[in-house]
Amino acid sequence: MAFRPRRALAVFWKDFLDLRKNVGLLVSMAVLPAVMVLVPIVVVWTYVNTPNRADLRSVAQFYDPTLPLGASAARFLIDKTLTDWFGLFLVMPVFVPILIASQSVAGEKERRTLEPLLASPVTAAELVAGKSLAALVPAVVITWVAFIIFCVGVDIVAWPMVQGPLMPNALWTFGVLVIAPLFAFFGNGVAVLISARVSEARMAQQISALVVLPLVGMVGGQVAGVLKAGLGFYALQGAVVLVLDVVLLFASIRLLDRERLVSRWG
Amino acid sequence: MSGIDVRGLGKRFGERVAVEGLTFHVRPGEVFGLLGPNGAGKTTTVRMLTGLLTPSEGEAVVWGHRADRDGEGLRKVVGLLTEQPGLYERLTARENLRFFMKLHELDESKAWPRTQHYLERFGLGGREEEPVGGFSKGMRQKLAIVRTLVHDPRVIFLDEPTSGLDPESARTVRDAVAELASEGRTIVLCSHNLSEVERLCERVAVVKRRLLLMGPVRELRRSGQSLDVRVDGEAERFRNALTSLPFAPNVLAEGMRLRVMLEDEAHAPDVLACLVGAGARVHSAVPAQRPLEEVYLDLLREEGA
Repeated sequence: MAFRPRRALAVFWKDFLDLRKNVGLLVSMAVLPAVMVLVPIVVVWTYVNTPNRADLRSVAQFYDPTLPLGASAARFLIDKTLTDWFGLFLVMPVFVPILIASQSVAGEKERRTLEPLLASPVTAAELVAGKSLAALVPAVVITWVAFIIFCVGVDIVAWPMVQGPLMPNALWTFGVLVIAPLFAFFGNGVAVLISARVSEARMAQQISALVVLPLVGMVGGQVAGVLKAGLGFYALQGAVVLVLDVVLLFASIRLLDRERLVSRWG
Repeated sequence: MSGIDVRGLGKRFGERVAVEGLTFHVRPGEVFGLLGPNGAGKTTTVRMLTGLLTPSEGEAVVWGHRADRDGEGLRKVVGLLTEQPGLYERLTARENLRFFMKLHELDESKAWPRTQHYLERFGLGGREEEPVGGFSKGMRQKLAIVRTLVHDPRVIFLDEPTSGLDPESARTVRDAVAELASEGRTIVLCSHNLSEVERLCERVAVVKRRLLLMGPVRELRRSGQSLDVRVDGEAERFRNALTSLPFAPNVLAEGMRLRVMLEDEAHAPDVLACLVGAGARVHSAVPAQRPLEEVYLDLLREEGA
């Protein structure tokens, strides 16, 4: 069976159209980026506005006991916050496709639209491609837009102290442009896989969302001072996720097999 | 080869046999009824013939496409109306139809006039830009039928096509089915509405995991005739006399009317003699064909016994 891009694009077109009309889902998709952008800007603003608080040095020295006396603890903590926050920021490209893909795959079962869809000439690979695109494109666009707002916001609030642009730095630029799409693909793959196995979109979202826990755990390790994550760490993480993406892609195509879906859910 | 050719078709899900040994042929231009109780394997059969399930045994060729080898080609020539309309509620009627045009890689400028014709025919003209979520059950059903036809399929499977429709709309659908068949398309109708099957189908097959019976509707009805008798007074009081006859016919009594089911037309004089002997004043006695429903129910009763 040949892969026909037109049919994959048809699935993308329909899912994207449906997403644009799903106000509830759009609102839930907007909440996470808003939090991801606003929280670090407020934290940086706090450091910039209270640079001489005595306890800042203690906190900074907890993370780096070799911090020179003359160095600004507030500036150190701003850099530390921006580095650590990238780990949490990655939750967004994972989570947004989970919200969308769970709706689009398990939602077809819930709405009883699966059988007419599968009775068309579309193949499993075209279905996976179309549905994945419909989840990935908004996820990556939202991540990039949030990143731009984040950079502008941080630079504005940090300017009085830094007197220059802090963002985008190498870690964030590489991370958002290269690693975030890989993570988005990962979130989408997990959601498609789980959606193919469960009957309800809500259940698919809840189970798929568990994959963000390791990311949150790693950020916890950074905040606790037991994990130092930089560009190399995230590049390694991205390579692992790339391998997982390939595995998930093939598993999704296999699980979205017409016979399996119809005999179980049709 | 056009039409549908099924030989020894069967489907197993693990140890469970859903369908076995089905053999039948449906001609182009024919409306064929597929009957059977719930869980009899009708849906499984339709799914095999529409390329949704791969047969476990046997062979099915639908308009020249083998169901086990050419599912994609097969799905291009068949249209399937599922029991549930299965429409995208946030999308408009037009968007729902355009999606299926795109899936079939149709040139929309050519496909749309034909689709518009069906929309008008089913009373949905002018409602194209409305979200399907606001449609009534009947409108959804009609839109699902139009969606089944967007790619001009040669073979059409209709599962309960008039479910949820008012009598006028049901009639429109029945007329459309007859018209589609007259254009040379093969139509398979699955329905529990046997009077509708009787009106639309030339032949029917009754399945209950395997093929129980198949033949032209006319002959099936003739295979069991009945005698409609009108008597003076309450007909019910003659029921016992009739059921004690040696051939023990089934008897329905309603008001002054008796319907006596006969295995053999030759028993009609015995029925009348019995009634007269029991003191009935017989006004009229008319031989009648049994409705398909009774033939069908008797068949299932025999199968159950």
